[in-house]
Amino acid sequence: MKESYGVTLPGMRLNDLVGKLIVVEGTDGVGRSTQITLLKDWLEQRGHAVLNTGLSRSGLVGKGIKRAKEGHTLGRITLNLFYATDFADRLEHEIIPALRAGFVVLTDRYIYSLMVRAMVRGLDIEWIRNVYGFALKPDAVFYLRIGVDDLIPRVVFSRGFDYWESGLDIHSTEDMYESFRRYQGALLEQFDKLAEEYKFKVVDATPDPRKVFEKLRAGIARVVEGEPAKPSEIAEGAVPFAPEPGTPAAEAAKDKGEPGAGAKLKGEPSSPVELESAAAPASDAG
Amino acid sequence: MKRYGDHRFPGRLFIVEGIDGSGKSTQLMLLHRWLRSEGYGVVFSEWNSSMVVKDTTKRGKKRKLLTPATFCLIHATDFADRVERNIIPLLKAGAIVLCDRYIYTAFARDVARGLHPPWVRDLYSFAVKPTVAFYFRVPLEVSIERLHGARAGFKFYEAGLDLGLSEDPDESFRVFQGRIVDEYEKMVPEFGLTVIDATQPIEAQQEQMRQVVLSKLEKAKQLRVAP
Repeated sequence: MKESYGVTLPGMRLNDLVGKLIVVEGTDGVGRSTQITLLKDWLEQRGHAVLNTGLSRSGLVGKGIKRAKEGHTLGRITLNLFYATDFADRLEHEIIPALRAGFVVLTDRYIYSLMVRAMVRGLDIEWIRNVYGFALKPDAVFYLRIGVDDLIPRVVFSRGFDYWESGLDIHSTEDMYESFRRYQGALLEQFDKLAEEYKFKVVDATPDPRKVFEKLRAGIARVVEGEPAKPSEIAEGAVPFAPEPGTPAAEAAKDKGEPGAGAKLKGEPSSPVELESAAAPASDAG
Repeated sequence: MKRYGDHRFPGRLFIVEGIDGSGKSTQLMLLHRWLRSEGYGVVFSEWNSSMVVKDTTKRGKKRKLLTPATFCLIHATDFADRVERNIIPLLKAGAIVLCDRYIYTAFARDVARGLHPPWVRDLYSFAVKPTVAFYFRVPLEVSIERLHGARAGFKFYEAGLDLGLSEDPDESFRVFQGRIVDEYEKMVPEFGLTVIDATQPIEAQQEQMRQVVLSKLEKAKQLRVAP
């Protein structure tokens, strides 16, 4: 059964949410939306109905946030609460109804992105945690991890530096490049802390998108379809992540006396599953 | 990030609370006049937040898009904007700031809508603690009687019609405001609200208010005088 991190909102029933809530997290420009597009197609081919949602897409607040960001007029607490309103609207009007109807909900970012942004801007982590206490605990969080050095060329040679993604509201005296480096570095540091705390499944986002997709696909198949692992199919050198206790994969692993194992997908090539543990350092950490 | 009670500013913050028809706005207006005539730099902080937040709140209300949760959060956003852009800078500059309604209005309304009391209190913990928070206590019947003469019909959210308490707006308003009064009464000891008996003559209430305010201004050395 699904549960929230803290409070339950008035009128919110959680006992009949049969769908799966899957989060794809990661910083700006890491390729989340590309991956989500690929994942949606793939899941639909396999017969799953998919809802694709993401930050600032609510009917209530979405436009307001975009306008506010254009004018750069909102304070840090205000902007954070604006996002919280957007999130609550999507949770109540999109995510929960879709989960009740049995959809796989793929969300492009979740409360964790909002938390790291707020933390980097000096807001109190305990306060943020309480604000987002009504959020549902997802079935899995896949964190696309990249170092700043690998991130910069992607941003420079695609859409360029953006005011907010460079944290210019914080470091307004520096040039875009310096500000981007510093801001994204700070975000990644906070993401790493949350990765450990919230048990993100970390996916190295530096290889080409096709490789990243394969890894995500393997992890998501396990969450959605609960395909248990066969020990013989774990590739040498691969680091499988441990299934969450209580999930079908964990139960299956327990039956076989395995504490946690990699997975092989139905009808997929037997490429190794290389999801790293949350504690694995990035190439340019620090 | 400073929490409720942690802020230290040269200015002073006086706020009024109470249900509709308690007479709090009239009292605040009279206090404003008096402070200005005494030469203090005093600013009346209205709920005029940035257009962006205001537009969203208006749209949500007009189209009835708001649930108890989003009603609460959009008002917290609006209030945060007012605190960050208006109240804090004014208090830093040494002004006397007057607010018609403050966080206690949100606590009363949101808890009456079913939100978890500690969650809502923590949500608003970025707010500056007022120098004095006046609560204008009035029996529900008296306030309804006053409102009846003054205006026609209640608005959807104001009457708590989103909660399905009653199909009749008057009855819904009565039940919802009753819940709000209960919440205010709980907050009197919790937040040390200064209670004014709002059934007294207007002049008597204002006299009490001025005495309380005056006692807080005597110790304030860095207040601005009006230009």
